[in-house]
Amino acid sequence: MGKKKQEMSQVYNNSKNEFIFGENGGKGKHLSSFLRNLSLTGSSSTASVNSKSSENYQEINSSIYGTLGYGSSKINGSQSNAGSIVSTPPALGRSPTSQRAVSVGASYSHVTATPPPEASVGGANSRTSPYLHNHLGSTASTTSASGGSRPQYHRRSHSNTMYRDLDDDWDAELPIEGAASKKNSIDNRTLTRLTQVESNSSSRSSINLQPSPILDSLYPDLTIPAAATASSLNLNSSSPKYNKESMDVEDYQAKLEINKLNQLNTKYAKFKTLLTGDSSINITDLRKLSWNGIPQELRALTWQILLGYLPTNKSRQASTLKRKRQEYLEGLGVVTIDFHESAPSNNSSTSLSNNSSNSRDKQLYHQIKIDVKRTNPTIKLYGYPETQESLRKILFLWAVRHPASGYVQGINDLCTPFYQIFLNNYIWQLQRTKMGGGAVEKNEDVQLFIPGLLDESDDKEQALLNDPKLMTYTLDNFDPSLLSGRIVAIIEADTYWCLSRLLENITDNYIHEQPGIIRQVNELRTLISKIDLELINHLDSEGVEFIQFSFRWMNCLLMRELSIPLVIRMWDTYLSETPLGFNIFHVYVCAAFLIKFSSDLKEKDFQEILLFLQNPPTGHWKEKDIELMLSEAFIWQSLYKHASAHLR
Amino acid sequence: MSFPNPATSVKLVLLGEAAVGKSSLVLRFVSNDFQENKEPTIGAAFLTQKCTIGERTIKYEIWDTAGQERFASLAPMYYRNAQAAIVVYDITKPASFIKARHWVKELHEQASKDITIALVGNKYDLVEDDNEEDGLRKVSVEEGKGLAEEEGLLFFETSAKTSYNVNDVFIGIGSKIPETNAGNGAAPADQTGGEGRIDLTSNSVAANRAGECAC
Repeated sequence: MGKKKQEMSQVYNNSKNEFIFGENGGKGKHLSSFLRNLSLTGSSSTASVNSKSSENYQEINSSIYGTLGYGSSKINGSQSNAGSIVSTPPALGRSPTSQRAVSVGASYSHVTATPPPEASVGGANSRTSPYLHNHLGSTASTTSASGGSRPQYHRRSHSNTMYRDLDDDWDAELPIEGAASKKNSIDNRTLTRLTQVESNSSSRSSINLQPSPILDSLYPDLTIPAAATASSLNLNSSSPKYNKESMDVEDYQAKLEINKLNQLNTKYAKFKTLLTGDSSINITDLRKLSWNGIPQELRALTWQILLGYLPTNKSRQASTLKRKRQEYLEGLGVVTIDFHESAPSNNSSTSLSNNSSNSRDKQLYHQIKIDVKRTNPTIKLYGYPETQESLRKILFLWAVRHPASGYVQGINDLCTPFYQIFLNNYIWQLQRTKMGGGAVEKNEDVQLFIPGLLDESDDKEQALLNDPKLMTYTLDNFDPSLLSGRIVAIIEADTYWCLSRLLENITDNYIHEQPGIIRQVNELRTLISKIDLELINHLDSEGVEFIQFSFRWMNCLLMRELSIPLVIRMWDTYLSETPLGFNIFHVYVCAAFLIKFSSDLKEKDFQEILLFLQNPPTGHWKEKDIELMLSEAFIWQSLYKHASAHLR
Repeated sequence: MSFPNPATSVKLVLLGEAAVGKSSLVLRFVSNDFQENKEPTIGAAFLTQKCTIGERTIKYEIWDTAGQERFASLAPMYYRNAQAAIVVYDITKPASFIKARHWVKELHEQASKDITIALVGNKYDLVEDDNEEDGLRKVSVEEGKGLAEEEGLLFFETSAKTSYNVNDVFIGIGSKIPETNAGNGAAPADQTGGEGRIDLTSNSVAANRAGECAC
């Protein structure tokens, strides 16, 4: 058994990338062979389940997938067997990479709230193949018709589970919460996964939720009678006969529990648990979770923690923010620029003072002023004078405090995600406060609030809180002139510090000659030459230089190529890759981005290529496109990271 | 090369201080369009446009460079093999005229010897209604013309916003490009080979300029 255990864990580890391939392989050219492999494996195992003796079955199990191995142990009913299998997951746990890889694929899965699992059972097959569905149904009816023993049936349905698991586990977020708490009969709910539809359908998440997901979802329950009941539960829509037989109290309880877990198991709940649990937030777990995207409401808080601006130690949070915000204001205090719009710039406040540093400041401010005006010119929020004044202050203070780089065009773009997320957070906190009349609800939320925003309030803040339209405000329709001066200062300060943190990681990008960007451009080229030789040959033969199109990708972190919501999603992952997300990992993302268009580009000549890449067709992109790109980047990073390191 | 009347390809680069309207000039020329608040150019942008002058058709391959000082070290890559350059300043911003001077100097020193350069004072729309002395205009026509004559440049005042004189710039440049360039089939390959290389020797250029700009 020891050997088998080893084998299985090995299979699993070896296949760590395949999780992603399985999920995303349909799109990426380079991944397709992996996908083929995967589906081949899957179908052969299913076939064996159906038609072959359990011996064969077992054999195949041991050679193909760890998950199947579980099924075989089940057949044998051997406890020791089961034990050894269960003990494999720690091997996974040891490899953060594999965990990460798994969760990459998972990223789409838990977007929304969760309907009860049975909702998806019947018609769930938009994604799973009809073949599977039929198979499932027939298994059930065969069993009940023949009056076959329950264990027998049980085993079979498990086999199904196994098979589908192969597919769906790639979606599932296996490894995220390590906490080993209650795992039990409910495990068999994995079966629900069989019938899961697309990622954002949710019953799957009921499984994910389970605190020890590796065990539970990869190696569905070994023990339990409830397993059978759970399967019947899930089958009841397709197999009424069976249903009749098993719909009892136990079922009902299982069902209730499933529902409860479903509700808990939104992404939001996971973050909430992590952010509110202990006195100190586990940054490692938070990173892992964030890699797959952060719920909108908790993004501001999570970003601040990931950036190291907000301490993980909760008892220090409020005081740290207070100090930092004060520092920001003091920094602005010594600046002689009048940031107010109406001051028609030149010759006003500073004319009395003498030296050249002042005129340099004025020049700098002039540059920032004209750039802020043309920052996100198509988005309403950035057209408000209040927004522009805030951006001017933040950028100017950053620039004077970082003379080695000073203000460089593009930094204005980098500032905006922070600003709008922190603004959005304030609106959300107000809305929650208003909603949370009930004390308990309120208290729970308070832990998710960024400290200091609601601690005190002036008339303007009260007015906003009582604004009848408060609940309808979003970034799209909010007028920042409604903010009090105190809140404006807080949002600015938080933005300033987070921007500073971000830029600390990429200072080389903005100093003289921009060596960081030149390095990244060269790395991108090297990387493409490894991944897509045809493309690089074509670019070379057309005389296209990487710096001609990718300079901007590095300088603005793809913000000119992607819409802000997508950039923000991308930063969730970058921030969880701290400190290297914004420089090292970004290059891999750029590679994935370029290769997305590989086949288009190979048909184009020099001019067409440049025109295309200056305005790449990303208008219709959704978050899942970004997540796919991030997954691909992750794969390439794990494949090539060390290879490119020695070239440097 | 199967076209009956092959277009002459002209590689053209735009240089000038930030926010003087380089991108807007090109946008007007290429798309006959204008955007009030155009995002700052990062690195450089590439555009093409054909232009017929009498019998000839000229195809401009335009590199619109970023104006901010920090990006200036990229500029040699774009002007090195250019046949034409447009140096732009803002007639309401004297500092931008000083910057234009520097660019002209650098082009004469670093760019190809027979490059055709046009000096363009943009944002004419802002000064159309100017009275004599109290207006927005800070760089006089005479100053512009003077520099152009000194350095042997074409000279225009334009408005990308109203499209005043914009096409004339490109027509003017086109008619000054020698006809013989039409047959330069080999030249573009040559150019592309060189243009993209990151030239580490450009350090000195950038360093010089940084020195000058301490003013």
